[in-house]
Amino acid sequence: MPSELSVAATASGVILPLVAVLLGLAALAALAPVSRANPRGLSLGLSALACLGIFGLGVAVLISGEPVTAQAGSVLGFAVVHVRFDSLSAIFLLALGVAGAASSVYGIGYTAHASPERDRAAVAYPLFLASLALVFGADDAFAFLLAWEVMALSSAALVVGASPSAGVARAGYFYLAMTHLATVALIVAFAILASAAGSSDLAAFGAAAAGLPPLTRDVVFVLLLVGFGTKAGAFPLHVWLPRAHPVAPSHVSALMSGVMIKAGVYGIIRFGLEILGPGAEWWGILILAVGVASAVLGVLYALMEHDLKRLLAFHSIENIGIILIGLGVAFLATGVGSMTLAAVALTAALFHTLNHALFKSALFLAAGSVQAAAGTRDLNVLGGMVRLMPITTLAFVVGAAAISGLPPLNGFASEWLTFQGLLGAGAEQALSPVARSASLLAIGGLGLTAALAVACFVKATGVGFLALPRSPGASAAHETSRWMGAPMVALAAACVGLGLAAGPVAAGIAGIAAGVVGSVAAAAPAPAATTAVTSVGPGLGGAVYAAGAIGLLLFAVASATWFVGIRPRPARRVPTWTCGIVPEPAFEYTATSYGKLIRLYFGRILRPTREITVELHPGTPFPRTVRYHGEARHVVDERVYEPLHRMAVGAAQMARRLQNGSLQLYLAYTVAALVILLVLAR
Amino acid sequence: MMEGPTFAETLVLGTIQVVLVLLVAPLLLGITKRVKARLQYRRGPSVLQPYRDLAKWWRKEAVESDTASSLTAVAPAIVLAAFVVATLLVPIVGVRAPLAGWGDLLVVVGLLALARFVLALAALDAGSAFGGMGSSREVAVSALVEPALLLALAGAALAAGSTDLGVIAQTASAAGTAWFTPALLLGAGAFAVVAVAETGHEPVDNPDTHLELTMIHEGMLLEASGPRLAILMYAAELKLVLVAALFAAAFLPIGMADRLSPVSVVVAVGAMLVKLAAAAVALGVLDATLAKLRILALPGLLATASIVALAGLAARLWLPA
Repeated sequence: MPSELSVAATASGVILPLVAVLLGLAALAALAPVSRANPRGLSLGLSALACLGIFGLGVAVLISGEPVTAQAGSVLGFAVVHVRFDSLSAIFLLALGVAGAASSVYGIGYTAHASPERDRAAVAYPLFLASLALVFGADDAFAFLLAWEVMALSSAALVVGASPSAGVARAGYFYLAMTHLATVALIVAFAILASAAGSSDLAAFGAAAAGLPPLTRDVVFVLLLVGFGTKAGAFPLHVWLPRAHPVAPSHVSALMSGVMIKAGVYGIIRFGLEILGPGAEWWGILILAVGVASAVLGVLYALMEHDLKRLLAFHSIENIGIILIGLGVAFLATGVGSMTLAAVALTAALFHTLNHALFKSALFLAAGSVQAAAGTRDLNVLGGMVRLMPITTLAFVVGAAAISGLPPLNGFASEWLTFQGLLGAGAEQALSPVARSASLLAIGGLGLTAALAVACFVKATGVGFLALPRSPGASAAHETSRWMGAPMVALAAACVGLGLAAGPVAAGIAGIAAGVVGSVAAAAPAPAATTAVTSVGPGLGGAVYAAGAIGLLLFAVASATWFVGIRPRPARRVPTWTCGIVPEPAFEYTATSYGKLIRLYFGRILRPTREITVELHPGTPFPRTVRYHGEARHVVDERVYEPLHRMAVGAAQMARRLQNGSLQLYLAYTVAALVILLVLAR
Repeated sequence: MMEGPTFAETLVLGTIQVVLVLLVAPLLLGITKRVKARLQYRRGPSVLQPYRDLAKWWRKEAVESDTASSLTAVAPAIVLAAFVVATLLVPIVGVRAPLAGWGDLLVVVGLLALARFVLALAALDAGSAFGGMGSSREVAVSALVEPALLLALAGAALAAGSTDLGVIAQTASAAGTAWFTPALLLGAGAFAVVAVAETGHEPVDNPDTHLELTMIHEGMLLEASGPRLAILMYAAELKLVLVAALFAAAFLPIGMADRLSPVSVVVAVGAMLVKLAAAAVALGVLDATLAKLRILALPGLLATASIVALAGLAARLWLPA
């Protein structure tokens, strides 16, 4: 294969060879599972090193400010590897690097007792990491689709494993079907762009997109939104996500939720905003609407879950919604040339992308540890983990507080910016009243989401980790190995660190966002109203959030209260008062009972079902057993996807009649096709 | 941009605010209870009773569940810290808050959420059903409160062109009666409704009940005792000041000091005390005259607040100025 490696970077010359070595390690990691000797640890350890390399690449790009490009191999004139990592890519590389390194190290402990069947699928893990890195840098539509497809297939292999149960196989089937429908949308969109550009180069796409007729641009935008929105898990294309993420091994779930779905976000920014933008106003409103729907419905369905990993998967939909809200404002603002607002909103989206990668990975890893230790991830039979698994609990609590958007952690900083974007759009005179109304409505939606997220994570943490264990399995849980503990703690610490340092981090991201926004429209963004990098800002009218100062003051006041009021008088410990009965776990609120009020409040959306079966002692009116079964119905699944699925299977059954394996029939098809072609071409 | 007060002025006004707010917080609860009692033809406790209660709990022994984790001990400190920092972000005496430039109204709302998260989580720590009841009700009600709260505050922020509470207060003071547009009044009405829910008064919550069928906030405090109960009760009293001050800063910024002169300080302190006392009396009247709504009927009340706040925003966008 003809191959040339041209690396165009000046300032990062020292780091690049290191990066190349580390990427080589990734290739080795892919081969390692084949060997007999300690396959898992070696492969995952090399993967972790490669992730550090990816992180280093991101840092190198950000420090030098110069994109790193490389080209290698070609098939039919298309470059197979044609990458250009610029500062937008770098943010995603940082997320991948941190979450990937943590997940890989965690995987060493997590898979130590895995079955050999799982092992055979593990070969896909390094491939998955490498394809993610390539997706974030592909500079050619062909290379992008290639990496995109490898990412989809390798993650699907990791989800189902080598010998899946029926349920897992079905989840994998659903995932593959959805992701391929998305890829079809992308291929069509890229084909339209490529035929206009006469090249598959992304740079050529950008030049050609401006000359497309408005209707074609709209079509391409919708195709991109469908394709990338499916991968991101945006409503109503989210249905694969809560199926696939919970059944994958937890370190893979962490990567899928923390990083892979962000490939959809990356695609919307790269192709939708940078190449295709600035767009019509309805583009922004549509993204905003999809974002609010994803956020609100994601968190509502999460509240109805008692499977810890499914709950987290629904929260990924919620957080993608929050990111899309920021992106929607960025689209609206670039459309009317309001560059400062666009930069704030894009900063919000990118910052939340990074934050979500950290706290969602931490949460998934903690959930995996609980599952490994207690043998279940059903919240209703868990509990008491705070004493049995203190480190895991600590990581989960910090992650839960961060994802709930609580100051002074990182989630709050990016949600603050998102709110500021919405308020800015509401105040922007250049936007139509419809767009401004949509932005202000979204404030209510985002507020509802934030409050429900608090509710859901109080539920998940309180029911799953506090009070008494509810089952023998949960009582027997014990803290997991250091391989699993250390990555979780590191990710949780990163959530705190990024929260306190939100000012400088947001300032850095704002610089990148300004670059992206500047490339969309000719007008460069106005310089930020405040230059102080110690605070997150600027918001509406120059408002700021001094994250570090607020965090330190909170800590100081809480410490003072602790040392003056609480520590000097330790409490006497007595059994919980339960009106004279011996306390037992059955008195505790379960996940189901905790969500009851919200289930009733939002019944119009959740359409809860309940089924109560009472079995009596024979001949008496006294119940022997009472069974309760209730669930929230997923209306989109029932009304849209199941009919679609039945139609698709039905169509496939019809098509199957053509394929009966008879050679004569196939020859007849060939003759018929030839005759038809001859008639048509006459 | 109007000239704000200098740093030294902010410092002095801020110190006055901190001292007054911390001292006056329990008094508001005393006033509310007294008003409620008088309306029920009872004599009622002295308005100073909350101070005595705090002193009593402070001296008592703390007891905790043997299934509780360290969260039970830490939670009161975090809850109090969240409210203390939040009150420092709200301009109450001067038009600039003591911590002006540290955070805006969104940070205040975020700190309220932090306190709620920690308190609702700690309520589940003992494994008692009462804690679960209070906790699950609190978070469900807050899901109805928070959108309305943010939408109402968004109206004031858009009117002033900033989410910074100091800028809002200054803009409003400068605008005079022109500040009170129909749009702002709709926002103020919505805020008033959710403020009642947020501070836990009738018709949403009954602060005096310990009946499991009805309690929300008290359900979360059932397991707290001794100094921890004192801290949590004091935090709740501080929250009342905070919510009332937030209302005053965003919707009724009258009489605040923008200069450090004896007259303006006396006027500002007086205005603050009148506004806080009015809030306390209003809550007492509500407590005495309204029955508690069924918890399933709350969405009707609180969603109405959201819709009123949205109407305010719509009026701002669509009506000619």
